[in-house]
Amino acid sequence: MRRTTSAVIGIGEVPTGKYPERSELDAAVTASREAILDAGLSPRDIDMVLPVGALASRHFNVDLVFSRLCEELGMNRSAKMNCQIMAGGATSSAVLAVADALIANGQAKRILCVHSDAVGSLPRQAGIDLFATTGVSEEWEAPFGHNMNAVGALASQRYMYETGTTEAELAAVCVSLRKWAMLNPNAMFRTPLTIEDVMGSKLVATPLRAKQCNMLADGAAAFIVADAAEAGSHCEMPAYVRGHGSLVTHYSISQERDLARLGFPEAAREAYAEAGIGPDAIQLASIYDAYPVWPLMSLDGLNLCRGERAGAFVAAGETSPGGSLPMTTNGGMLSQGHTGVGGGIAVMVEAFRQLMGKAGERQVANLVNAVETASGGTWMDSHVTILSREAA
Amino acid sequence: MTAPVRPLPQPSAWSAPFWQAARENRLVIQRCNACDEKIMFPRRYCPSCLSDDLGYVAAKGTGEIYTLTTQMAGPPSGFEDLLPYVIAVIRLDEDVQMMSNIIGPGALSARIGDRVQVDFHPVPGTDTVLPVFRLAEED
Ligand SMILES: [Zn+2]
Repeated sequence: MRRTTSAVIGIGEVPTGKYPERSELDAAVTASREAILDAGLSPRDIDMVLPVGALASRHFNVDLVFSRLCEELGMNRSAKMNCQIMAGGATSSAVLAVADALIANGQAKRILCVHSDAVGSLPRQAGIDLFATTGVSEEWEAPFGHNMNAVGALASQRYMYETGTTEAELAAVCVSLRKWAMLNPNAMFRTPLTIEDVMGSKLVATPLRAKQCNMLADGAAAFIVADAAEAGSHCEMPAYVRGHGSLVTHYSISQERDLARLGFPEAAREAYAEAGIGPDAIQLASIYDAYPVWPLMSLDGLNLCRGERAGAFVAAGETSPGGSLPMTTNGGMLSQGHTGVGGGIAVMVEAFRQLMGKAGERQVANLVNAVETASGGTWMDSHVTILSREAA
Repeated sequence: MTAPVRPLPQPSAWSAPFWQAARENRLVIQRCNACDEKIMFPRRYCPSCLSDDLGYVAAKGTGEIYTLTTQMAGPPSGFEDLLPYVIAVIRLDEDVQMMSNIIGPGALSARIGDRVQVDFHPVPGTDTVLPVFRLAEED
């Protein structure tokens, strides 16, 4: 078990959806301001800014790299470093691991991590083509018509083949997420969804149907990571960073040799050991989705289903409101919306929100420990992070 | 307005022999002359020993479907007229994997574990030939 060195003490988020009139900068500074105020800080208390990658606008991303947020938020000559962290969908876990290490080494005391993007306002075909290049090999995969929905489909097929998971169980993941999203004012999709609605939607890439494919959205979220020693003086219930494990398994999905598991079992073992917290002591799972197969694979790898198959566990309602293991209570990328790199950031910020006791109608009772997962590109890596209301 | 062009491979110095072989209807696999590692896809250096002494050997052209999907809607630009088409990851009998398409009789009902045999598809209007796969004939 590792001594705890950092905690999240403030969060901010703007609603996810299609907001063509809201600029990425507007969303970024609004979410950042909320996080700084939530932590009870002023801008000059922040000593580092780690903006994560934005995909829709190269110009905006260059602004993020070149300290625009420091200037906009009043941190000129007080921030020591502005540095972009980018690991695609895995950036949530990755930026938290980097922030935790910077604080552990005494490089920083209070770090602002922020995401903003407007991939939802791209024309539909531009969105498809953008994500057909994120971890898809131009030479060896794109010529065969490969694309992001096919990535989810290829993994679904192999996972179903190896585990016996059914199409209805994949659909149950979407239904569980939607039940949580209906309680989340920041979510894009808040109307009721049934297994039949999912199974009756148009086939996109077998076995995936339209309602099993995420919708691109605009959004922004931010959080403040602080030295664990001072976290309690800023925040009533900080979310302590307890452990992290990860493994890169491929760049192109066609080179993945264990597509039904990826690196989640290894990452989970490492994270649980570092945290000194095992699967039986987890009360909340904030699981990166984007397609329904990934939460199932992650639940298996994290050993969270009490020996049951993840598909059966989710179909029995265990991850829905009222279930024994609330999962991805913001609705995930399938119902809150896929904001690019930020889909994972929102899933992680929701875990912080729950641990900080600020989840409103979605608040999970008797919560102590939570697990967060993420993966980038074509699920190139498997990240597992353990968070807690208690420091070690 | 002309239809969008499908993406085509832009060979590198080290992958050019693979695509040239495909034009000659041969499937080849890169091999490290230093450690004998079979490499797919072709790399600049051997990922096992980092040697630059790499060559190519003939593949049998047979393997099995590791996973697959039939793209029914929402394809990337350039593939609109090809729907539905089958994207598959093939595990070759040499124990390396590659992405390709399944074409021909039975393609739309192909399953994981089915045996496949390489074929070659010239992309119309280009000098690119793509290695694709058909379901193997029953013995
Ligand atoms: Zn070698």
